[in-house]
Amino acid sequence: MKRFIQLRKFISLCMAVAVLVLAAGEEVYATSLPYDTYNYDYREYIHYTPAAYVPASEIGGEDFTYNGEPVGRFVSPQDLCKADDGEIYVADTGNNRIVVLNNSMSEVVNIITTFDNNGSEDSFNQPYGVCVSENGQIYVADSQNHRVVVLEKDGTLVKIVANPQSESLDDNYVFTPLKVTVDYADRIYVIALNMFEGIMVFETDGSFSSFFGTIKVEISLWDKFWKRIATKEERTQQQLYIPTEFTGIDIDPDGFVYASNIDATGVQGVRRLNPRGEDVIKKGENKNVGGDLQIDGTTDYAGPSQFTDVVYRSDGIYSCLDRKRGRIFTYDHEGNLLYIFGGLGTQMGTFQLPVAVEDIGGRIVVLDATKAKIISFEVTEYGRLINEAVALRFDGDEAEAVALWQRVLELDENNELANTGIGKAYLTAGDYVQAMKYLKLGMNRDYYSIAYRRYRNAFLTQNASYFLTGILILIVVVTVAKKVMRKKKGGGLNE
Amino acid sequence: MSKYFSKEKWQYMLYTISHPMDGYYWIRHAERGSVPLAILMVIIFSCCFTANRLLASFVVNDIDPRSVDSFYELSGILAFYLLLCVSNWSVTCLMSGEGRMKDIAIAVGYATVPMSVVLAAGTIISQVIADDEQAFYVLLLGVGIAYGIIMMLIGIMQVHNYTLGKTLLTLFITFLALLIIIFLILLMSNLIGMVYNFFRSIYTEIIFRT
Repeated sequence: MKRFIQLRKFISLCMAVAVLVLAAGEEVYATSLPYDTYNYDYREYIHYTPAAYVPASEIGGEDFTYNGEPVGRFVSPQDLCKADDGEIYVADTGNNRIVVLNNSMSEVVNIITTFDNNGSEDSFNQPYGVCVSENGQIYVADSQNHRVVVLEKDGTLVKIVANPQSESLDDNYVFTPLKVTVDYADRIYVIALNMFEGIMVFETDGSFSSFFGTIKVEISLWDKFWKRIATKEERTQQQLYIPTEFTGIDIDPDGFVYASNIDATGVQGVRRLNPRGEDVIKKGENKNVGGDLQIDGTTDYAGPSQFTDVVYRSDGIYSCLDRKRGRIFTYDHEGNLLYIFGGLGTQMGTFQLPVAVEDIGGRIVVLDATKAKIISFEVTEYGRLINEAVALRFDGDEAEAVALWQRVLELDENNELANTGIGKAYLTAGDYVQAMKYLKLGMNRDYYSIAYRRYRNAFLTQNASYFLTGILILIVVVTVAKKVMRKKKGGGLNE
Repeated sequence: MSKYFSKEKWQYMLYTISHPMDGYYWIRHAERGSVPLAILMVIIFSCCFTANRLLASFVVNDIDPRSVDSFYELSGILAFYLLLCVSNWSVTCLMSGEGRMKDIAIAVGYATVPMSVVLAAGTIISQVIADDEQAFYVLLLGVGIAYGIIMMLIGIMQVHNYTLGKTLLTLFITFLALLIIIFLILLMSNLIGMVYNFFRSIYTEIIFRT
């Protein structure tokens, strides 16, 4: 008996230790991330969430060899693009070359430094942007040669786009392409240096067609007032009101162009341009797709986020890369902020000067110009659940998403999107009490209102007999009371 | 105490709310009002205001409950009440107004009653409205607040024996006076703070040297 008790004590001790070790292990894991992961709630308070993506690997040119030769460190790489066949093209700007990595980023499959230009050998000078079209042609924004070079996959020249001719361009305008992308019809969209009119669109034959998605300058009444009373000399001293330039560009399968820009007010850092060049983005509950919401302060680290690139991922989800604080903001098609991760620093998984972001097979990959590395992040359970649930909602299967949202709530019980998702499902199922509970937690006033009205009307119809009886009794009591009072009064008068 | 809160005073307050022109006239000329009752009404207004912000249903209420502090709001409303009365009194004294300080206090205090009523009623009604019925709630609050403001206007007009135009003018000047008073209070407190710091540093100096 005594031994039995001892054994039991021993076992319970072991279990306690095991629990402690497991718990401690989890804690170490949670704090080992080099950045904060958080989100903003309805009232724009920060609430910390589990990480949606965690750093997986960090690779640079020095990690590879090509044809037996070391590839060597990237020098100030500026752009990254995923082809439809899964290969990854890196614009190694400082080394004047395009490096092609295979699907899993484990080896270099091609390096393009020269190409045959009508018999003579030609090369790049500061290739700033790269993009691959649906049929596998490579578009290179060859910035210091002032042209866009289009190559076949094997490196033979298709065409060169240079010297755009248009009445709307200055005579001495120098075309310096920075970022390039191409749509399903092989129209070329170019972000050029000092081109404030918008994105330049080129037709398939390489002729300049038009500007696209011009950002309108908004001058406040107050600025206008000052401008009115300023003298001519003062006016020349003032800043010019020029629109901001676009910084990054991507195209979704439907042909909508996602373009990031730097917004000094921090309200809109990304635009979704329809084929006519109009912005059709949805800004969500907080009327904001500009990154961080809490941007007050006077330090260098404060101020609005500066989106330097955007990637359309799938099912209406897109991610924007902020170079100010090195964060990646992910939004859904309604403009809801899904999750935030990433940060500046020198540790693995942080950035120094992030320039490009891409979604490669479910991983989020960021190119860092100063670190000269490609940093990839892999999805956690939390991120995967949100991605899947949002994808289901995008397809209209909100009921199916409920199980996923339930699991999200287990990981992050303040997640408003999850609460709203569950609430909406209860609403469709007719469980109004539960729907009201979750929609209130999700701060979704419109749907809460609908749920409440249905709940109230159902309650009224179910209990109509009680209400009617109550009213009847009330009427009887009042009339009787009135009669009694009158009688009493009358009696008083008689006396 | 019972003199200020007698049944007659309460009844006369209700009469004033339904007949502001007449009611305020006799408050000025026949001592029918009660200042403590007016202050009580302001306190009740503050309570109703806070209650509405905290308890109105989720459908109509977009206020962050963390930003509501009933004590802070009570002191704020009382301070504003005091400031309004003082500045109106100082302005109307110079502009041949007939009202005394207590008349102004009663005029403003009684005018908060309709606002309190609609805030309280709105809080209750908000519990049973949904969706597109919000308009009723907004209308109710709007009517009550408008009635309160009109009452305040009539009250000030009657106790000073002004025309409407002159009332509006004095109210505008009252507003300026209010700002000046706030400015002077800030200036005063700043200067007093400086003097206090001066003596305090002398004190610490002496303490350190002995």
